[in-house]
Parts: sequence; structure tokens; C-alpha cells
Amino acid sequence: MTQTTSGERLGASFRDPSGFLYTSGRRLLRQVNQLYAADYRRLMESGLYARLTAAGLLATHAEVDAPAAEPELAFKVIEPERVPFVSYPYEWSFSELKDAALATLSIQSRCLSAGMSLKDASAYNIQFIHGKPVLIDTLSFEGYGEGSPWSAYRQFCQHFLAPLALMAWRDVRLGQLLRIHIDGIPLDLASRLLPARTRLVPGLLLHIHMHAGAQRRFAGRRLPARARMSKTALLGLVGSLANSIRGFTWKPTGTPWADYERTHSYSAAAALHKQALVKDWVERATPSTVWDLGANTGVYSRLPRRPGTAVMAFDLDPAAVEQNYLEVKRSKDQGLLPLLLDLTNPSASLGWANRERDSLMARGPADLTLALALLHHLAIGNNVPLPQIAEFLKAISRWLVIEFIPKEDPQAQRLLAVRKDIFSRYTRDQFEVDFGAQFHIRASVQLQDSSRFLYLMQSR
Amino acid sequence: MHLSRLPYLDPGSGSFLLQLLIGALLAAGLAIRAFWTKIKRLFGGRSSALKNEDDANDVG
Repeated sequence: MTQTTSGERLGASFRDPSGFLYTSGRRLLRQVNQLYAADYRRLMESGLYARLTAAGLLATHAEVDAPAAEPELAFKVIEPERVPFVSYPYEWSFSELKDAALATLSIQSRCLSAGMSLKDASAYNIQFIHGKPVLIDTLSFEGYGEGSPWSAYRQFCQHFLAPLALMAWRDVRLGQLLRIHIDGIPLDLASRLLPARTRLVPGLLLHIHMHAGAQRRFAGRRLPARARMSKTALLGLVGSLANSIRGFTWKPTGTPWADYERTHSYSAAAALHKQALVKDWVERATPSTVWDLGANTGVYSRLPRRPGTAVMAFDLDPAAVEQNYLEVKRSKDQGLLPLLLDLTNPSASLGWANRERDSLMARGPADLTLALALLHHLAIGNNVPLPQIAEFLKAISRWLVIEFIPKEDPQAQRLLAVRKDIFSRYTRDQFEVDFGAQFHIRASVQLQDSSRFLYLMQSR
Repeated sequence: MHLSRLPYLDPGSGSFLLQLLIGALLAAGLAIRAFWTKIKRLFGGRSSALKNEDDANDVG
């Protein structure tokens, strides 16, 4: 969440007049406006809220007796369940976005059975809580009037269908278009980028190619006064979208990092020693939040942890993040969230006034950061000087477990194989000096059977 | 345009009209399928097991 002073609205909470989020001390509250009173009552009294929260599809909330931020508009104040870490669709792997899309459709389908409908279908309204995609916006519901089409159909196609289609049919990296197009990928762009053969896939023909054509043709046109859409037709539309989404597949292989754990160069003894040290030190620091940077498929993110610890496993490789997420689903791991992140260009603050979507740094600091087998990529692979790496890691972590990879290490040598060694200051002594300026070095141990060192540091 | 009330997001004219078309196609498809199932049943075909409401709702 954007850093706010008490009583201030959150930067992303302004579009819907039904209410907004604000902070009150350390609490996060949501004002429900009078305008939304009837829909709110219907959500709660129809049994829909109970059914959706029981199914793990909607975040829970409690009605609280707290001062409203704008009392003249207020109907109620509610306190929503906290999200351990707010993540965004451009940070999700293919299957994370797919599961978020299916959750949205599942909610819409249940809404229609209860005489309600989702009035928006923004991917930003979905967050991962306990390993599953959950709708966090209690104000997204409205009474369904028989005959109405789905007003969020376009938004659903832009936020979910278009990026997933591009990722599955063209290139998984096209998911990153969501960073530029904050209200989802324009359908005419998706239609142009998709291979021509996708016109033979009924769901893509209808919901993307024809949809883009209809938008072009009827832009700004007034709609016929008597246009109606039966509930059966609307349920058919939701089912058709769900079939299209379920039909998307992507195999997370062929990128260098997804195979790293099998091909990396150090011995079993060194790996076991590293695991034992990481486990001991994480226990010592007792973190509630852990950021594993360069987590790959999450081997170290999965080490035993105290219940309730939230681990975010970041990696720049979409295949590694996807494999990690599939393993989270398989093992029903509730405390681990794999996310896509390029540390050399981390998520920026985006949207209106740069306050709608927070940068990575605004979402920190983590209690503990793991930077294992990472330093050489930043220092040698990306030419970042050690003092700047230390400064960055200090800004995002209270505790740090970091591995020093000497230049002689085969992995560091691979990075230097075809380029000039301009890194005379990349030594262990200099590393300790530069990191010592930002952190207290609490422990350092040479890994067995290896020239690498592992450090435990605490922010100064 | 039929709406119980106007949405707070612009739903897009094209998106609205396309929905009506897709809706009509899907509704026609469903009606044909229901009709076909009845015909099959008339000639002794097995009816498909009824799903409970939650299964029917669960698109995920």
C-alpha cells in the first residue's frame, strides 16, 4: 500500500464512488458510502458474502465502530482482512494470472445466482492471500437487473483475457504490456499481436478479434434503447470466457534459470550446508515477512518457517516463477507467493499521480531478505558497484542473508568469459567494507566444499 | 440500452453490442442443446447427471 499518513485515502482508491480505503493509525479501513448502502445490504443479506468468503473467493471484513474519513458520505466503516503483500498482475506468472481470471468469473457466476453482478473486473482487485487469488474489493457488487449485459465485460477482456491469450499464443513476456497499459491491454493491440490462426479459436475470435472490431466500429455510438440480454445468455457469456481462459496453456521450460537447480555448479555438501545456515539464521531473525530475491524455483523460499511467515519469492524468469507457483498449488503452501521481478528494473510506482500502484521499495522493507547466488549477477552482470547494492538492500530489509560469490567461482567466471574484467573492487574484503557501512555483520561462514561465503547482517 | 442503472465505468458501446450478439448466439446454442437432449431422451438415451448448484457455479 502507498505510504500514507493517518486518515488519508489510499492512492489507488478513488475511481468508484461507492467508498474508499483509508488508514487510521496502523489500521486499514474502508468507508462504505450511502450510495452503496442498498448493494452492501444485499451482498451481506442475500448470503452471497457468506458463500464467497467460505469458498475463499472474497476477502473477509468486519463492520467496525471507527470514525469515517468523510462522515457526510458514510454509511458504514468496515475493516477488511489484511493482504500480506500487495502484488500486481504484471508481477504474476502465467498461472497466477489465469487463476485470478477464473476466480473473477467464478465470483461473477455466483453473483448472478444471488441476483447480483460484478460491476468491475479489474485484475488489481484480486490479491493472493494464503496462496489463492481472492477478490479484495467489497464494493465491486451491484444488484443485477434482469436484461442487463455485463458492464465489466470489456474490463475483464482487457485485464485478463488479452494478456493471457498473448502469453499463451505469442510470447509469455507480453504479459509485461500490463505495466504500460494500466487498464489492461487494448483489444485492438491484442488482436494485432496475436497470430492469425487464433481467429480459428472460437473464444479468441469472439472475445478479442470481433470485440476489437466492434469497439472500432461502434465507438461512441448510442445504444439501442430496448437492447436486452437474458440471464441465460449472460451465464453463457461467463461460461464462454471461462472456457477460453481454461484453454490457455503455457509450458514453463526452455529458459536458462528454470533448469538452474539441476545444472548449477556446486556440490551437494555445499548446498546442504547453505540450507542449514539459512534455516538457522532465519530462525534467529524471527521475520514475519521474507523476500527471497532471485529465488529461482523457490528451493530456499521453502525452508521450514514459523507459521504465519509470509515469503515472497521474486525471480526475473517467467518459467522459474511459474514452476514455483505450480509447486505452491501442488503442496497447498499458504505462506509462499512467487512473483516476477527484474531486480535491475524493479516495479515502479504507476498510475494516476504515480500513486495507484506502488513500487517494490514502497512495499518494503521486509523483515528479512535472502540474496543467495545473486550478488555476482548484480555486481558483474549488471555492473552495479557494491556500495550501491548494499544501499539498495538496506532500503528493503531489516535483516539480510547474503552469499558472497568470489570472482574465481565458476558461475562468476561464466559472466566474465566474454568480457573485460573491470571489477577490481569485487573482493570479499571490499564487500565487507561496503556492506559494513550499511549493516552490522552478525555472522559469516565459508560454505563447505566451496569458495563461497554466507553472511548474516542486520540493518544499521 | 437496458441497464438497471448506469455503470461507473465506461462499458464501451462496441463491447456492449458484441455482448448482445454473443449472448444471443450462446442462448440459441443452449436451446438447441436442450432440445437435442430431449430428443435423445425420447429415444431412450441416458440423461446426464444433474450437478448441484455449487458445481454449476464453479467455473474455476
